[in-house]
Amino acid sequence: MLILSRKLNESIVIDGRITVKVMRIDGDVVKLGIAAPADVPVHRQEVYDEIRRSNEAAVTQRTTSVPKLSNSGVAHEARPRPADWQDGQRNSDTEVNSQKHNRPNKG
Amino acid sequence: MNCTEKTEKGQLGGDQCLIQMPLGLLGFEQFKCYSLHSDPAEEPFLWLEVTGNSKLAFLAVSPFVVLPNYCPEVSDEDVKFLGLESRDDALIFNVVTVRGPQQATINLKGPIVLNRRTFLAKQVIPVNASEFSVAHPLSVKAN
Repeated sequence: MLILSRKLNESIVIDGRITVKVMRIDGDVVKLGIAAPADVPVHRQEVYDEIRRSNEAAVTQRTTSVPKLSNSGVAHEARPRPADWQDGQRNSDTEVNSQKHNRPNKG
Repeated sequence: MNCTEKTEKGQLGGDQCLIQMPLGLLGFEQFKCYSLHSDPAEEPFLWLEVTGNSKLAFLAVSPFVVLPNYCPEVSDEDVKFLGLESRDDALIFNVVTVRGPQQATINLKGPIVLNRRTFLAKQVIPVNASEFSVAHPLSVKAN
């Protein structure tokens, strides 16, 4: 692993197109600003870990008894709604993603 | 690895089809080919089973049956990866963890998106993943 020292407001550039900047240092919390093209997924490590652990807990065999939903007959009209499907834009709600779009970090 | 070489894409029969997940499920990256089984007796649940390995299967369900307002925002890169051209191309289902006879949870944070034209699928992390739980309780009763 490459280890670099950075001070406040200093950055690193990855692959010429992704910039990670130290925005704020507050005790043991470091706020990072990430500027990356829209096709680069940026997520906290914990999200991947959470989903991986969930999958590992879910794996079973088809012989497992399938439960019945106790509130059957609820609505089922909704369709998948990918982010701003028609115009290709996306909404960014998370802190990580808002930084990705170069919005100022107000935290 | 192309799991559909031997079989016409997606076609296995009326109640099951083959799907490709080039990136696998998180934690199960080595398994890229799955068969999706549906049985009217088990509706609305589906089984996602690793092709050729009956010991590895995941119970799944359409999230909209449980949460009609569930709205994962699929990122541009995932739309591109899956080759989705319209929202009708996409089928979303989520992994269910059976924790006991009357206890089960659904993973809303990592939905599986399937292109129903090409049978290409991916477990995606939605742009708005922070809104969702990996273990949302399902209201179930013993079968």
